[in-house]
Amino acid sequence: MLQVTPSRKTMTLNLTEAEMKALEELSATKDISKTAVLRQALRLYQMVEARIARGEKLFFEHDATKQKAELMVL
Amino acid sequence: MSERTQVYLKERETGQLVEATLIDGVTRDDVEKAESAWRPFLEQQLKRMQAEGVPKSRWPQHRHWDWREKQESTELYLAYRMFGIESSSQMQGLMLVLTAGKHARIESQRGRPLVYIHFLAAAPWNLASVVDEPRYTLVGSVLLATAIHLSLEEEFQGRVGLHSLPQADSWYRDACGMTDLGPDASVQNLRYFEMTPKQASEYLKER
Repeated sequence: MLQVTPSRKTMTLNLTEAEMKALEELSATKDISKTAVLRQALRLYQMVEARIARGEKLFFEHDATKQKAELMVL
Repeated sequence: MSERTQVYLKERETGQLVEATLIDGVTRDDVEKAESAWRPFLEQQLKRMQAEGVPKSRWPQHRHWDWREKQESTELYLAYRMFGIESSSQMQGLMLVLTAGKHARIESQRGRPLVYIHFLAAAPWNLASVVDEPRYTLVGSVLLATAIHLSLEEEFQGRVGLHSLPQADSWYRDACGMTDLGPDASVQNLRYFEMTPKQASEYLKER
């Protein structure tokens, strides 16, 4: 099979019970491993941070009402 | 950092499969080299098409794509990956994909992550819409297979999504077996296509 993923490094992660529960729920909903969820989260967080650093804002828009709400990112 | 893997393209003139290199992590230099060969070739062909009275509706719809800009604006983001296929020391095709934040729309897969193909193009000399005798075929097929392999490795089970330009609709639907979910008003009314894990598996089996 064609290999398209670079080599990876391993780390230990310490989470609270609530954080672990949220991670497990996302893992089940998205049908991917907890590692894959965190990888997704990191990629999105990095992109959001970079765009906010460029002076952009992050909004959620309601599909039906088109109402927008700014998302606060720490 | 870019990685290179051997793949095969079909040389139309001889009908033979020829070795090519799949580049994962296309660099600024790679794109510069590609654009400096693609752009003049395409402009020359567009002038010819204009002189021959070929209607604009038959000109390649992605002729305005600027791969330098795409590479520069995404190279720092983990979520984006750019792939290229090189053969005969020339870039034969490029693809930009997004690996986070896009989810399946097909009911059986709804909400599950997928690899989203933002842009996929073959070099202009490989396009039947531009030249009578394209140099290589299979460029698009190999790039789509790459997106599926990436989806499998990301644990997305082969799910792939994309918005297609009208000239490519039938290729994605009929040749690749993707599901056509119709025009998407949020993306210039381009048709949205998606590949389920089963369709992805069938696509790879046939190639």
